[in-house]
Amino acid sequence: MTPIIDAKNITKVFGASRSPHAARALNDVSVDVYPGETVGVVGESGSGKTTLARIMIGIESATKGQVYKDGHLLESRVDWRNLRLNVQYVFQDPFTALCPTMRIGAALAEPLSVHKKCPASERLGRVSEMLKKVGLHPDMARRLPVQLSGGQRQRVSLARALMLEPSVLICDEIVSGLDVSVQAQVLQLLVDLQKDLGISIVFISHDLRVIRYLCDRVYVMYKGEVVEQGKTGPIFENPSHQYTKNLLASIPGARHDKSTPVVQVTS
Amino acid sequence: MVDRVLNVEDMSVKYPGRGGLITVVDQVSLSVDAGKSLVIAGESGSGKSMICQALLGIVPGAGQVSGTRMDWRGKNLLELDEAGWRSVRGSEIAMVFQDPTAALNPLITVGSQIIDVIRTHRRCSRSEAKNRAIESLELAGFSEPAQQLRRYPSELSGGMRQRVAIALALCCEPSLIIADEATSNLDVSIQAKIVTLLHELKDKLGLALIFVTHDLGLASEIGGDLLVMYAGSMVEYGPVQSVLDNPSHPYTIGLLQSAPTLHSTRDNPLKPIPGQPPRPGTIGTGAPFVERCPVAVQGVCDRKRPTWTRVGAGHQVACHRFALDKEGGSL
Amino acid sequence: MTSTGITGRLYLNPLIILGGLLFAFIVLSSFQAQLLTQADPLGTDLGAIRQAPSLEHPFGTDGVGRDVLARVAHGGRLSLQIAGVGMIGSLLVGSITGLLAVFAPKPVRWSVERAIDIQLAFPYVLMAIAITSAVRPSTIVLILLMILAGWAASARVVRSIALQERGKDYVKAAAVLGIPKLRVVLLHVFPTVWPSVVVLAAMQMAAMIVFEATLSFLGMGIQPPTPSWGGIMLDGKNYITSSWWLTTLPGLAILVTSLSLILIGEGLQKRSLFLRSRESDS
Repeated sequence: MTPIIDAKNITKVFGASRSPHAARALNDVSVDVYPGETVGVVGESGSGKTTLARIMIGIESATKGQVYKDGHLLESRVDWRNLRLNVQYVFQDPFTALCPTMRIGAALAEPLSVHKKCPASERLGRVSEMLKKVGLHPDMARRLPVQLSGGQRQRVSLARALMLEPSVLICDEIVSGLDVSVQAQVLQLLVDLQKDLGISIVFISHDLRVIRYLCDRVYVMYKGEVVEQGKTGPIFENPSHQYTKNLLASIPGARHDKSTPVVQVTS
Repeated sequence: MVDRVLNVEDMSVKYPGRGGLITVVDQVSLSVDAGKSLVIAGESGSGKSMICQALLGIVPGAGQVSGTRMDWRGKNLLELDEAGWRSVRGSEIAMVFQDPTAALNPLITVGSQIIDVIRTHRRCSRSEAKNRAIESLELAGFSEPAQQLRRYPSELSGGMRQRVAIALALCCEPSLIIADEATSNLDVSIQAKIVTLLHELKDKLGLALIFVTHDLGLASEIGGDLLVMYAGSMVEYGPVQSVLDNPSHPYTIGLLQSAPTLHSTRDNPLKPIPGQPPRPGTIGTGAPFVERCPVAVQGVCDRKRPTWTRVGAGHQVACHRFALDKEGGSL
Repeated sequence: MTSTGITGRLYLNPLIILGGLLFAFIVLSSFQAQLLTQADPLGTDLGAIRQAPSLEHPFGTDGVGRDVLARVAHGGRLSLQIAGVGMIGSLLVGSITGLLAVFAPKPVRWSVERAIDIQLAFPYVLMAIAITSAVRPSTIVLILLMILAGWAASARVVRSIALQERGKDYVKAAAVLGIPKLRVVLLHVFPTVWPSVVVLAAMQMAAMIVFEATLSFLGMGIQPPTPSWGGIMLDGKNYITSSWWLTTLPGLAILVTSLSLILIGEGLQKRSLFLRSRESDS
């Protein structure tokens, strides 16, 4: 099977590459994404995980390395533009990711009208349908982003990314700004959406607990390199790289978890 | 003999709003002993940061603090004037903020900032203050403290800045440190180091610690007592282990079930709490959690505020449902 | 929302109300001058030259016996119209160049930024004198001069706000969704700049009133006998020691007008700050 996205030997240097101030954000990183799976990219700040994600969607360009889509090398601007019809990106901060003066309905309908995805008469119906899919009331279409909570905005961002019916969704720290109870709602939504739509998800996070919950495979990044990769279960139960071991040991409540009885609400 | 440094009873913070006062913190009672810690946990809008600000007399805007008792080592915080607060704030009770970058002046060296604080609170020469600054940087975990004095905050990493902020809090030998989400912006590995540091300081200096967080996993690392806040009210209070092993308020249970742990996978899905937290001023006369509560009792929970019910040693919960179940009363 | 009434719903504050009332009074007495005085602004009366303010002539009469109040009222009409056109023109040019300075390709961006710098560094009265000595003064030239004098200030404001917006994720998100850049600039970014442009409009209008008066006073604006505020003051300049009302009272009209506009501008600024703080609350 060919991966949908295959980023090969990506190196990214910020600043002039020969200057002493040049910062190497990524060093020979390769990541692939197969249909229908959830791939986690985990790392601390400065590990290069966001840069990697932005290169995969073409918001930033790699200094070295190639990105393949369904086996085809992406070269021209047109290639990248076509990629973005198929791969979408959800931003971390739900407060800046939506245009503050545009009503939700207009924001969701815009990609449809720009890309002429459907007749104008169907747009409204598609917007309502998508709002329902992400667990919001269709009346939300009339609201402005300021009238929504952080969790609701993140649902709208997800809905907007899904309007073009992509096959891959790249989620960059999309739950880290949310409260725990709202975070769980959004995570559950992602699980459900993937089940419904069969899309692949690239989930970027610093939170190992969230990665463990959501992902089939995981790449552990440290200082611009992938130090460990593989199926989530084995990596979490039996990490081989020292950095992964340290990371797992640092998780708050790691000691407590083992003794947690399964709590049940009885009603 | 326990040295109870802080004892607060029925503290409320209210803001004037349209049509009367809006309660942001509702009758909170808490206490901390020297060398012990208290974790205040809750989501945004739960009032946890407001409690910290009330304890330091820095409630923003037109907020009014009231209560039956706010005893701080023989002083009544409720009666302090501005001069009185100045002698407590920073010197007896110190605070570490969430964002160390915002808490430090980017144009002044680390050393000058610490020395300034020391000389504001203590009568001493510059060189004495400098020695004291080096000591507190050492306490905050810098292996070469004297070299940090000449550095600017921008030369330090996020974790080191938070250590400087801790040194700044320690430099006047306070008896209580309030850490408001002090590790939330840091990477997990650095967070773990800061937590270890706080433990050492607590044991070595006999400091009392109030640690505010949204992460119940982190609460178990801190230990001591745990106070769970929801929408400005206390919902559960008790020793951390007891509360986490035997969570009794539906909100605490909901929080634990919605936070993924290292062992949760999609096979046993998270159970998110439905809905949104209420906005201040929109809470009725019933239990604050009633609208999102899966086990709310019609006609009881939406009518009156729950009072405390004992769960275990020192562990109490404010829940009608729990009280009714305990009494064995049928519905 | 529980507050009611006009002020509650539009979030008016005392500054806007006071400035608005003053400005409305000026506009009304300029465009409906006959309500204020029946006197003819162009009708000379050599029997009554340079009379001090009286009940018959509240602002006095000028060197050829024309009623100064009538001239100020009718002159205001032209001054306001020209200033209004100049304001809209300079905001339009300023907004376009300001957005170009942020979103255009690099060489264009660079040239626009340098043009703004040069314009801001150049004393505009000097520039006006230089230009009008080359071209014959007319209303069109006057308006063009005003746009030339005002565009850079608005461009700088628009540029600084657009620069902040460009870094925000919603602009990147639009790019990821394949939305054309022009559409992003006009439909996503410009609406967020708009509230500041409205504040700027009031301030620019005040500047334009003064600028028109300055140029007319220097003889480079509206040509006599058509009354405009600056022109009336120019006429009275020779009698400044003996007949104070010929310069002071038209000057007062300019002062009150620009003051009212500055009040409105300040008020709008406060209002948008207030609205923004409300947004962040929710």
